[in-house]
Amino acid sequence: MSQLRSFLALYRGHLLAYRRTRTAIYWSFAFPLFFLLMFGFVFGRGNPDDTRFIMPGLFTITIISGSMFGIAMRLVTERETGILRRQRVTPVTAVAVVLAHGATALTTLLASLALQLLLARVVFRFRIEGSWPAFILVLLLAGAALVPIGLIVGSVARDSRTAPAIANFLFFPLMFLSGSAIPFMMLPEWMQRLARLVPTTYINEALQGVVVRGEGLAKVAGPLVVLALTSGIGVALNGLLFRWESTEPVKGTRLLLAVAGLAVLYLGAYFFAPALGMAHYRARG
Amino acid sequence: MTIVVEQLRKSYGETRALNGIDLRIAQGGVVGLLGPNGAGKTTLVEILEGLRAPTAGRVSVLGLDPARQTRELKQRIGVQLQSTALPLDLTAFELLEMYAAFYARAQPVRDVLSRVGLEASARTLARNLSGGQRQRLALGIALIHGPELLLLDEPTAGLDPVARRALHQVIREFNRAGHSVILTTHYIEEAETLCDRVIVIRSGEIVADGTPFELVARAAGTSTLWLALSGPFDPGPLEAAGAEHHGQEGAHHRFTARDPAAVIVALGEMLRSQRVTLTDLRMKRPALEDVYLELVGDGARERPEASE
Repeated sequence: MSQLRSFLALYRGHLLAYRRTRTAIYWSFAFPLFFLLMFGFVFGRGNPDDTRFIMPGLFTITIISGSMFGIAMRLVTERETGILRRQRVTPVTAVAVVLAHGATALTTLLASLALQLLLARVVFRFRIEGSWPAFILVLLLAGAALVPIGLIVGSVARDSRTAPAIANFLFFPLMFLSGSAIPFMMLPEWMQRLARLVPTTYINEALQGVVVRGEGLAKVAGPLVVLALTSGIGVALNGLLFRWESTEPVKGTRLLLAVAGLAVLYLGAYFFAPALGMAHYRARG
Repeated sequence: MTIVVEQLRKSYGETRALNGIDLRIAQGGVVGLLGPNGAGKTTLVEILEGLRAPTAGRVSVLGLDPARQTRELKQRIGVQLQSTALPLDLTAFELLEMYAAFYARAQPVRDVLSRVGLEASARTLARNLSGGQRQRLALGIALIHGPELLLLDEPTAGLDPVARRALHQVIREFNRAGHSVILTTHYIEEAETLCDRVIVIRSGEIVADGTPFELVARAAGTSTLWLALSGPFDPGPLEAAGAEHHGQEGAHHRFTARDPAAVIVALGEMLRSQRVTLTDLRMKRPALEDVYLELVGDGARERPEASE
């Protein structure tokens, strides 16, 4: 109960601070809008049908950048400056601290998605084929799957210089392999196989289903299960890897455990993907 | 006993930060930990807070073991750390409100703001507060849950004398309510005016412990006397009383003595029997600073800031 109160207080504090940070607002709002207009006019040629086709990829990119950049940096900065150290001597627990950061990232991420959606509707008369509840559930699960990964980056990064480097290093494979920047079908077959080892492929996959093909939840259940599991494992790994202070070492065995946990999940997804009826199989077969 | 420490040792690899500390602190005092950088002050305080685990020895704070009963202890102690920060994009009020939520019981934010004299800055972002105001806000956060014990690591470092005095005021008020305060400091003047017990630490060991007055009295310091006299003056009787004459500085004769009281008695005799009158008398007793420098002396250069 007291930890719930701590969580809510931290969450509120983060959001208040966020609202007062100009660069944060730039990354969550100006940047996604710029991407929307560029994609919409260049690839969507400004017409609703073509725009609908590119929107899942765009949402996926927004989710990746929203959960990789900013969030890891905020965690590292709080650790480096000693904000976390100060909280450590209060009764607040690591769980409340991590969840508050995660909830903040998820909130700002959903806000930038909402803005992107609104503008897509107004400017490009964008419509989704599937149901709204399904669409919102997919976005929520996608955020819940990727945000913990951003937090892990924040916990394992040595300092504020390594954090963006790691985030960038993850950003590009997550984006290109997911089929969000380049349509999946245009990737060579070995890359399509590799793509099944990254979480963002499943985000793009579920979004394609709901937005473009008008599929219901039952049809995108496969990717959604993978995302839900990613989220659960990600949250648990954060518990293992969280550090209050920069002087605490990153425990190698725990990091190994983290990588192994995700590897098991995605190898599983790799082999079960055909059985789960995931898109690139269907599209080819 | 608020704090009991027995044979406390702490090593970082090869470096010994604390080397067998024994300490008992009763409730209700302001205790100052004084010592050069790297002496082990911060290590000691952070062990009391439960932030670091001791290598060996027994520690009890408010009857709790900081290493094991950390959660319970955190509800009852107020802490100000040395290397720490507050989120700068929140106002003083918002920050106190946030920290208040971490505790099972907390005091009204308005009350704490007025206790630390920040009512007028309630809506100011932490980044726009002056250094002194930030330190007072940090102290307010340490007080938000009404702790029984305050542990402050260099609470006034880098502050001007006015800001420092304002902070002393808050600390004294807390102490007046019967609560204990333990603070580390670099300022000897602070230890002298604020603390009723001073513990000097050097190279991880306690080298002196007592009231500021006792420490000064215990040390083998010399006092200096300046006497301005008119009429024929013979320093002989004063020298017989143990004073050493260092000649004249302007109108004043300068003497040094280990026992200035005996010199004053001899001076009184002299004034009665000889044709001299005393026109001015000044005396300087050894200060805590002299005692401190005598105690830590070369220790100040002994080790790098490894542990602090």
